Amino acid sequence: MKKKVMALLLCTSMVAAMLAGCGKSPAATESSDSEKGKTEASNSTEADFAGEELSILVSAGWMDNRYDATIARFEDTYDVTVDLQTIPADQYSDVLQSKLSTDSCTDIFWIQSDPFAIASQIVDPDKYCIDFTGAAWEGVIPETRLQSCTYDGKLYGLQLWHNSPEYIMVYNKTMFEENKWEVPATYADLKDLCAEIADKDITPWFVPGADGWQHQLSFFQIGGVYEAAAPGLYEGLNDNTATFAGNEKMLEVLKEFKELSDAGYLGEDWIGTDSTNMSNEFGDRNVAMAMANSSYIKQIQEDTGTSDEFGLFLLPLGDNDTFPTNPGGPTMFGYEGSEHPELVKAFFEFCTTTESLQEILDNSPAYTNIDVNDDKVVQKWLPEEEEFMAAIPAEKMKTGVLQTSTKYTNDYWMDFGADMIAYCQGTMEADDVLKNMDANRAESAKVAGDENWK
Amino acid sequence: MACCTICLERVVTVNKKRIYPQWFLIIPLVLYICFFLFPSILGVLYSFTDWNARSAMTGINFVGLQNYTEIFTSNKDYVSGILHTLSFTVVSNMIKLVPALLLAIMLQEGLRGKGLYRTLLYLPSILPFVIIGLVFKSILNYNTGLLNMVLDALHLGILKQKWLSDLNVVWKSIYGVDAWRGIGYVMTIFLAGLNTIPKSYYEAAQIDGANFWQRIRHITLPMLTGAIMINLVFGITYGLKVFDIIYVLTNGGPGHATEVMTTYSYQLYSSGQYGMSTALNTILLGITAFIGIMVVRVMSKKEVQQ
Repeated sequence: MKKKVMALLLCTSMVAAMLAGCGKSPAATESSDSEKGKTEASNSTEADFAGEELSILVSAGWMDNRYDATIARFEDTYDVTVDLQTIPADQYSDVLQSKLSTDSCTDIFWIQSDPFAIASQIVDPDKYCIDFTGAAWEGVIPETRLQSCTYDGKLYGLQLWHNSPEYIMVYNKTMFEENKWEVPATYADLKDLCAEIADKDITPWFVPGADGWQHQLSFFQIGGVYEAAAPGLYEGLNDNTATFAGNEKMLEVLKEFKELSDAGYLGEDWIGTDSTNMSNEFGDRNVAMAMANSSYIKQIQEDTGTSDEFGLFLLPLGDNDTFPTNPGGPTMFGYEGSEHPELVKAFFEFCTTTESLQEILDNSPAYTNIDVNDDKVVQKWLPEEEEFMAAIPAEKMKTGVLQTSTKYTNDYWMDFGADMIAYCQGTMEADDVLKNMDANRAESAKVAGDENWK
Repeated sequence: MACCTICLERVVTVNKKRIYPQWFLIIPLVLYICFFLFPSILGVLYSFTDWNARSAMTGINFVGLQNYTEIFTSNKDYVSGILHTLSFTVVSNMIKLVPALLLAIMLQEGLRGKGLYRTLLYLPSILPFVIIGLVFKSILNYNTGLLNMVLDALHLGILKQKWLSDLNVVWKSIYGVDAWRGIGYVMTIFLAGLNTIPKSYYEAAQIDGANFWQRIRHITLPMLTGAIMINLVFGITYGLKVFDIIYVLTNGGPGHATEVMTTYSYQLYSSGQYGMSTALNTILLGITAFIGIMVVRVMSKKEVQQ
């Protein structure tokens, strides 16, 4: 009998011990509850965060080394540790969504935001994001970028991104001049140019397909040309009266891309090549052109010490002549379920001080400017950027890029990239690539409860 | 009355012989039901709903077989994911079981330094998939990878391949990496099985004039049925739910060439389509259960016959 009582007691205590772990600590609940609602201006510098750990989930390329110094100062200032979890770009979206849906996200997470992204990617910002409305740093974000950080009148995100021309063609100007190659203005010009460059045993257009997110830029960055070919297309795509499938201009662009791929102009194994070695390839003169940010010129020169000059031109697929205007960019959010909400707020405040903004810019070889409302930050625009921007007529800069100007498109960036590769390898038809995008967008719209898709 | 007394005495004796009382089962059973059986059944039920990321606000609605219909009719080609999974299961088992068995037999015989070889062969099994993925992605890179560089150095450039981006080669690369990782584990189970076969059987067979292959066929293989069954069941379940090795090496690419059921399921879950994701998992569960039961039945019958 004694043994039975003993066994019963042991079992009860075991179960009690197990269940105790499943519960949320009263302190945590209290803390979480207290964070709901509007953020009050906090006096973070006086708060005691000593010994706490701030975890950040980010995709490769969004923070890189440019935040290292700022993070180190933040750690010293508050005597905390920052756990930076950088995920490969091709896996990031899956990892983030899994963490959000299983309520196991880091204190801070990033998304590639745009005016529609909060609703479509985070889906339920009230549940997942800390509401920063009224935070002092709101004024630092320019009006154009604020729409990618707010939803339903509430401020959720902080976007510190540059305002340089994004993902246009960067080319080796010196090499072009030496070989008397002309900058192409149409697809036909581009194809002829690629043939000439390939004859010299140089990769004409370096496309890092293995990254999973770069090659589709050539399709989406020229959104202006699709809108110009079918005026009202963006509006139609947003109210579900138009589709990607069957769009002739889009089909033409995909066909042209495949043509270049088949001809080997994108590199011998562009599908299996990532961007790790891209600047070296430029420096070694193994490649002539690539899609990159204008500020990448600075990075090539700093990485390789080349004395070559570089220039910029608009990607001429589909005979495009429009500038890729894009108000979106990587944006950080505070996780509502965080156990350190005050520390998260302190980090956001810390990042938006003039000192941090300048530090972030100074530590970014790929940045020439940071798009913030802070006159004290010293910007470093390149002469090439200024020259390039000055040559583009204002009316060619009005249409936004396809991925961030149409709803639910950017959410399927990686899927579209995979489909594009399948098309280039001959296992899919061009129109099926577009049909898949329509089907995916419809799914997102369904999940978001979008009236236009009902 | 006397009979009843005897019966009662017997029951008491039997109960006394029991080391643990029956009710000890209750706790593990409750935990098993709560944390495994119930969620599994719930998962199957969810596959008939439109459960998604917004369901907290809109509720979960019963949609019948809609998710299943979409899997088999959608433009997304989930069916090829199912076929890839099945073919991976068959091929990966074949290329692991046979070499592992031969290696086990070799290492069971009087090979010098067999302990070292066993350790070396087993080592890859304890490496995490992420590390294996990173290492092999680097080795198999077309332009900068070690493998192609070695081939070049040996003037065998003709054998160079786009190991992870050529549609005709990518699966072979995955099988190769998977075999490199898994053979040691399979071999260890075979070794355990081989250790249970009495030496006297082989001695008797040798006296009767049986050669090496005859000894394998008539003694080793029949006596190893248990180990083969364990390896087959483990291998089949591993093959059907394969995810890590594909995810870290190709992430389902190039294009969708190496997508399997679990990568599709993961993508669906990530994009908030939980209902569809669980439907795909339910199909996987069905296939796994069916094949698993079949294998165990067939192998058990063989064991009884022997």
